[in-house]
Amino acid sequence: MQELYVAGGSWLHRLSAGWKLLALALAGTLMFGLRAPVPLAIACLMVAVVVWSAGIGWRRFWTQARWLAVLTLIVAGFTAVVQDAEAGLVAGLRMASLIGLALAVTFTTTASALVDALAAGLRPLHRRGWVDADRVAFTIALTLRFVPELQRRWQAIREAQAARGIRANPVRLVVPMVVAILQAADTIAEAIEARGYPPEPREPPRRP
Amino acid sequence: MLIELDGVGVEREGRLVLADLDLRLTERRIGIVGANGSGKSTLARLFNGLALPSRGQVRVDGIDPVARPREVRRRVGFVFQNPDLQIVMPLVHEDLAFGLRNLGVPRQQIAPRIEAVLRRLGIDALADRHCHALSGGEKQLVALAAVLVMDPGILVFDEPTTLLDLRHRRRLGRCLDELPQSALVVSHDLEWLADFDRILVLEEGRIALDDVPAIALPWYRERQEG
Repeated sequence: MQELYVAGGSWLHRLSAGWKLLALALAGTLMFGLRAPVPLAIACLMVAVVVWSAGIGWRRFWTQARWLAVLTLIVAGFTAVVQDAEAGLVAGLRMASLIGLALAVTFTTTASALVDALAAGLRPLHRRGWVDADRVAFTIALTLRFVPELQRRWQAIREAQAARGIRANPVRLVVPMVVAILQAADTIAEAIEARGYPPEPREPPRRP
Repeated sequence: MLIELDGVGVEREGRLVLADLDLRLTERRIGIVGANGSGKSTLARLFNGLALPSRGQVRVDGIDPVARPREVRRRVGFVFQNPDLQIVMPLVHEDLAFGLRNLGVPRQQIAPRIEAVLRRLGIDALADRHCHALSGGEKQLVALAAVLVMDPGILVFDEPTTLLDLRHRRRLGRCLDELPQSALVVSHDLEWLADFDRILVLEEGRIALDDVPAIALPWYRERQEG
């Protein structure tokens, strides 16, 4: 997985991450309320306009969306088989609209803005002591950062095994991968600590 | 800079990693050399509290890293060998902001400080780039920028040139030369350490020689080759 953000100055780039996430949640809810192909096709078209106006570029969009498109076709096909053709079309259009919208948000929002928005959204639960909003947000950011790194390690292990004539086998790959992850985790923990994490606890909110 | 070690020893899993070190470090550029497993990295980690002494005491500008680790980490920046594991955020400017946010720097000061540090290192064009897509040399400069932006008075480098090609090694060396901060550098790159003020040679957790580069480096080279 590559990090998806594409730098730009479109209206969607300028919109705050919080609003984008809220709009995504509302649009998702609305999509599940639509049950006929025509309104869903219109929604799909509107999503295409949003993607186009964000200046992401169709080629870049397609690079990320193609596997999700395959998944959408599988879901639509399966629904068509077990129910009927219209239900399949509805499921496919709904999924395509949601994927398009979600990708438009991630293409135009930096990880830190998304994480900040999530932390802000979780703040009410944080105040009640139910979750540690900052920790959740940081964990997500860290995951986004290290997924490409883990991919690269996976590839390196595969190549090292291939060079020694070992055929690709998930079991043989998993063990060195787990060892590599554990070794990396120690260094990452040190690096985070060396840069002052966790920050000083925030002051409790002042009562009016 | 003043780092003092009084009778410092470090043990790990019953093995003595560092033994009875008494040091007073005041020079601007100090190099630390030694064979693999000689305790160099552990010594470097003592300076900002990433490793703690099993006995004895470390003081950084009079502060004990065991008692006040946050204050010590504010003063001592640490640059790791592998920048891939030091860079923790997806975009370059986000990674630089990470340390500042941990320090509680006001939001409006973060962007100007990041911009200034990137410009100083000549990598301002990388600000919006994805960290995983940078070259090894660029990543090491970003890792250095991420430490410098926190404005530490002392920098500790743990073999920062090991993964770099000659061009980036030289570039990092030039960057270090221009920095006003005091620096302690663990390295196998003896050529780079030749202009330093002081060299510590470690052998099996002990200081085998503590001298100026003109004496310490040829002595160490001879020991390694012999």
